[in-house]
Amino acid sequence: MPATKLLATSVVGSYSVPEWLERLKTDFYQRRISGQYLEDIHEVAIKAALKDQETAGVDVVSDGELRRDNDVDYFLARMPGVEIPHAAKTFYYDYYDAYVRHALPVDDDSATLGLVNDLRFTLQYTDRPVKFSFTGPFSLARRVKNEAYSNPDDLVLAFAHILNREARALAEAGAAVLQIDEPFLAGYPEEVGLAVKAINLVYDGIQGPTRAVHVCYGNRYARPVWEGHYEFLFPAILDAQVDQLVLEFARKGYDDLGLFKKYPAGTLTLGLGVIDVKNPAPEPPELIVSRVRQALNVLPPDRLMINPDCGLRHVPADMARAKLRAMSEGAALVRAELLGSTPPEGEQP
Amino acid sequence: MLIELRASDDRLRGPKAVDAAPILTAAYRAAVDGRADLSRLRFVCDYIQYRQNFRDPVELRRVEPWNIEPGSPAADGESFEIAIDLRRARPDAVDAGIKASITDPRECDRLPLEKWGPGSRSLIWGFNTLYWKALSLWEQSTGKGYESALPGGESDARNAEAARELILRLFALWDGLASRRALPEELYVLELGVGNGNQARVFLDELRRLDREHGRGYFRRLHYLMGDYSPHVLELARKNVAHHSEHISSLVLDALRPTQTLGFLRYKAFLVYISNVYDNLPTDEIVRIGGHLFQVETRAVLARSAAESLSASVKVKRADLPDLIARLLRVGPELLCEMLPESFPKPVDAVTFWRSAWEALRLEERYAPLLELDTYQVAPDVGGELLRPIVEANGDVRMHISNGAAASFTDTLPLLHPHGVLLCHDLFVTDVHQYLNGFRGPGKYDGSVVNWVNGRLLQAIGSRRGFDVSFAPFAYRTGANIMTMTARARD
Repeated sequence: MPATKLLATSVVGSYSVPEWLERLKTDFYQRRISGQYLEDIHEVAIKAALKDQETAGVDVVSDGELRRDNDVDYFLARMPGVEIPHAAKTFYYDYYDAYVRHALPVDDDSATLGLVNDLRFTLQYTDRPVKFSFTGPFSLARRVKNEAYSNPDDLVLAFAHILNREARALAEAGAAVLQIDEPFLAGYPEEVGLAVKAINLVYDGIQGPTRAVHVCYGNRYARPVWEGHYEFLFPAILDAQVDQLVLEFARKGYDDLGLFKKYPAGTLTLGLGVIDVKNPAPEPPELIVSRVRQALNVLPPDRLMINPDCGLRHVPADMARAKLRAMSEGAALVRAELLGSTPPEGEQP
Repeated sequence: MLIELRASDDRLRGPKAVDAAPILTAAYRAAVDGRADLSRLRFVCDYIQYRQNFRDPVELRRVEPWNIEPGSPAADGESFEIAIDLRRARPDAVDAGIKASITDPRECDRLPLEKWGPGSRSLIWGFNTLYWKALSLWEQSTGKGYESALPGGESDARNAEAARELILRLFALWDGLASRRALPEELYVLELGVGNGNQARVFLDELRRLDREHGRGYFRRLHYLMGDYSPHVLELARKNVAHHSEHISSLVLDALRPTQTLGFLRYKAFLVYISNVYDNLPTDEIVRIGGHLFQVETRAVLARSAAESLSASVKVKRADLPDLIARLLRVGPELLCEMLPESFPKPVDAVTFWRSAWEALRLEERYAPLLELDTYQVAPDVGGELLRPIVEANGDVRMHISNGAAASFTDTLPLLHPHGVLLCHDLFVTDVHQYLNGFRGPGKYDGSVVNWVNGRLLQAIGSRRGFDVSFAPFAYRTGANIMTMTARARD
């Protein structure tokens, strides 16, 4: 774990997108402002998001994914070999119709998404460890019309090959945590084996950063897309060459923590969701404390990292700040309890 | 000078057409004979289909200057809009009405009941609320049920064929979820605005019957929640479905904020059914003139003659009427009767007063500049920016914001299960251009208010929340204006 602190806190990835930013993003997709103009806006917004996270006491920060139009198209639009015939959108957050009509250039080392530039920018503006998340091959393949591969699994694995190059570049550039997001996996529980195989391809040869996987029940438009339980992940997910599972609990309850008892998972750590991102009301720090304590009944503190259930993009900015602050304060209280000390100034509720 | 005719094609030509030419000629003559600056004068001619409404045949509206810089001289000058009801206006009265309204702003002709404000905050909504709260008293007084005031004399919620189609689609969904072990134990259906309970009855009868054939035991797991603002209506509905009592819960709730009562239902409702609710919720209107946006401000008034007769009927001074009406709306007719026995010896007298005041009620309008759309609030979680693409794409137009419908819709969507569907039968404007060829409210349905709902806006709201919102004519009755709106999660 990059943060040496016990019960270190982090985010899942995305940060609050204010309405004015949504409007400007939409203006770009309707060709009313230039790409350069939008890029400047993004950079300002990212710096502000980093500052918000730092002020809230988050240990491992992210760029808030503020450059991204959504969790899928940002990658598909950059993915070599993916065709997007109509690049204008009515609303920036809409999904494109994307096609793969020919086999992807998996062996072409020059074919990249250029994600490392996003990371380098973030690293310039924070001294804290940085998490970099990206959507995984299984979910990306679900949003593409495949006309190239007779076996759909091959498309997933081709995406994984290309993302492996991205992961290597990101690791080399200094990401503290790499996180593969698989937002659609919960809707296809029978395909966990394929998803794990693809995850292992993405993380092949990656050393240094914590290798994480985030699986939730969907957060598009702040709504769950699927319902169910994490039982479907086990035991297949234990074959994944990852260091951390980042899971949603706060909204659904903590019953699934029992899975970590049922399936002893070696050194695998848990990114414990303690913030419900579908409810804008901030949790009190005491609630965070009780949620962390529940997890401590199952896992030792050195195998826990504390984070929201999912990205904060749909949470209003003031609520997002309050939620992160509560999360940091709650984690600090439990940490102090474990270490027999007093939480530092600024981390006391 | 601009003259705009906002009437449907069949009101301007063909056998049902009104003879608009003499009215327009009279309006033109009155304008050119007067002293108003013709370059700042607009005539808007609507065909108001509601026999009971809030307008006189000729009304004057002041358009306030639209200045970006505060304190700068009113460079726009004073502009006016004269609204004419093509159905009721007579040429001689148009001429007289226009001359009178331009020279004399009618302050002394009418008794204001409130201050100027956005339409959604008008006193008329107090009357609307009272109607649903004290519906039984109103019905006793008029001798007819509220459904008889609806177009066609009944609500649209009683079609077995429609219910069957819906239920079979639900069965298919539930079968699929069950096969993935993702079907919850309890299956929730919510109806908002329950009418007389016929929709619930047909739906439950059909579901029970079809479930026996299907054999999966879904009926046993079904919870049908009936929500309505009116305890009286809810009670009638509950009696109608008494034979399904073990599957029914009835809840008095505010349609504007369903999650306040139904928080437990978040992401659980497989079907939300809403019939003729949204057209009865408060709304603002905005108007775009020459590319500038204005908010329509309204003020409830009584004509002097109506005010005099009303005050005489209850032995109060004319000047005391606004307070008396405010008290009526606050406490209702029964309590008012107890508080003021000399004016209202029996509750029926208070109801008579209520009905007379309602009948006489008019709305004056004026246009106030709307300079910053982002600070305008459509609904608690919906900012005014959402309106921008709609108003910018459609030229000069006056339209409803349907604030109440927007609030209700926004607050209902979170109740839907990820695979749930919201079905709504109502009067919808589905294309902004419909505002240019017809009057969309407000009108009076018996003791309540009716406005067509801005469907384009609800579509935009749904879209921003990840829902596809579509409209289709109500499939089970031809010739009606009722549309069916369907919202379901996309992606």
